[in-house]
Amino acid sequence: MTDIGDHEAFSADELSAAEYALGVLAGAERAAAAQRIARDRAFAALVAAWEERFAPWTAEIPEVAPPPQVWERIAAQLPGAERQGLRFWQSLVFWRSFGIVSALAAACLAVLFYLSAGSQQVTLFASIEGSGERIFVAAIDAKRAAIAVVPATYRADPTRVPELWLIPSGGKPLPLGVLPADRPTQIDIPAAIADQVKRGAALAISLEPPGGSPTGQPTGPVIGSGTLTNL
Amino acid sequence: MDLDSNRKLIATALAAAGAGDRNALQTVYRLTGTKLFAVCLRILGERSEAEDVLQEVYMTVWRKAAIFDPALSSPMTWLIAIARNRAIDHLRVRGQNRRMDPIEEAANLADDKPTAEVALQGAQEQARLQRCLDELADHERAALRGAFFDGNTYEELAERMKVPLGTMKSWIRRAMIKLKACLEQ
Repeated sequence: MTDIGDHEAFSADELSAAEYALGVLAGAERAAAAQRIARDRAFAALVAAWEERFAPWTAEIPEVAPPPQVWERIAAQLPGAERQGLRFWQSLVFWRSFGIVSALAAACLAVLFYLSAGSQQVTLFASIEGSGERIFVAAIDAKRAAIAVVPATYRADPTRVPELWLIPSGGKPLPLGVLPADRPTQIDIPAAIADQVKRGAALAISLEPPGGSPTGQPTGPVIGSGTLTNL
Repeated sequence: MDLDSNRKLIATALAAAGAGDRNALQTVYRLTGTKLFAVCLRILGERSEAEDVLQEVYMTVWRKAAIFDPALSSPMTWLIAIARNRAIDHLRVRGQNRRMDPIEEAANLADDKPTAEVALQGAQEQARLQRCLDELADHERAALRGAFFDGNTYEELAERMKVPLGTMKSWIRRAMIKLKACLEQ
């Protein structure tokens, strides 16, 4: 029923990539192939090559306009749908990509946005690190005088809250505010210290009692810091 | 708009969507929504389900755009693959495929010729693929069509074409080997 040639012309990987791209697999076989794409780049490349071979076949399906409510439903599901003028650094996708892709790729993305979205002027970044881990990431929007801060590997402390400080080179820490432990936040930079927010200054995070440091200076341990740098 | 500039537009919008730009996702949707809806509708055969799947497709695009790798796929191929896979996943969850009518090889043959409209679209890749599909045996091409357009599994295709499962697997494997060799010429 099968010639010997059938088995020699394709490796097992090539065959399952082709089967997955064509869509004939079901159940555990289909699930296994899908999972493998996520972790095995060589296999993902085989699947992509087969998708590329088959994709032109879809040209024979006449296009059909979906009803307008489909886009409305998609738009309603996107983050920040309730706000107008979402800024890119408020998007989890952006920050997630910052966390999982290389620093270079992240910088490319940010530059892309710097160029493509005129009103957004992210000029400075800081990776706030401690104990060998990136615990928060911060970006400064110079035009809006705001700092976006996003938790990376930060693990919430049961009794204390993280507080953000600006440390000008050679100066004392200036309080910027208490951060939520589990979601991105935006802090307005007080006008009085705006001119100290520049390259070379540092951002640091200390653990403080709920409500923040009672003294205006860090009272708990400093768990991480990072220097503001240009992209 | 010519194919190439359309391609670049999609690629640029996809990159921006990957960085979290909602408007860019809407651009991707405007450029590709009719195509992907047609793909979902063809596989699922039912409008309201195809609409639900289309919504899922673009939410997947939104989540995955940041990891889209232009070195591996062209943007349109990547989008079509997401649409097909989402639609097929729905079919599999649903259980039995609705397209289980017997496949007649001869009837399939006529259906297989590119229409004038398709030819006019002039996509070179499409012409090349069509030429290579034409070189396959009728039963091989019919089996591939059932899988690609109706979302049938090996088992379903064997049932529709009234052959043992092993035979169907052998037909499809052999068809894909020939197809690849032809496309690489």
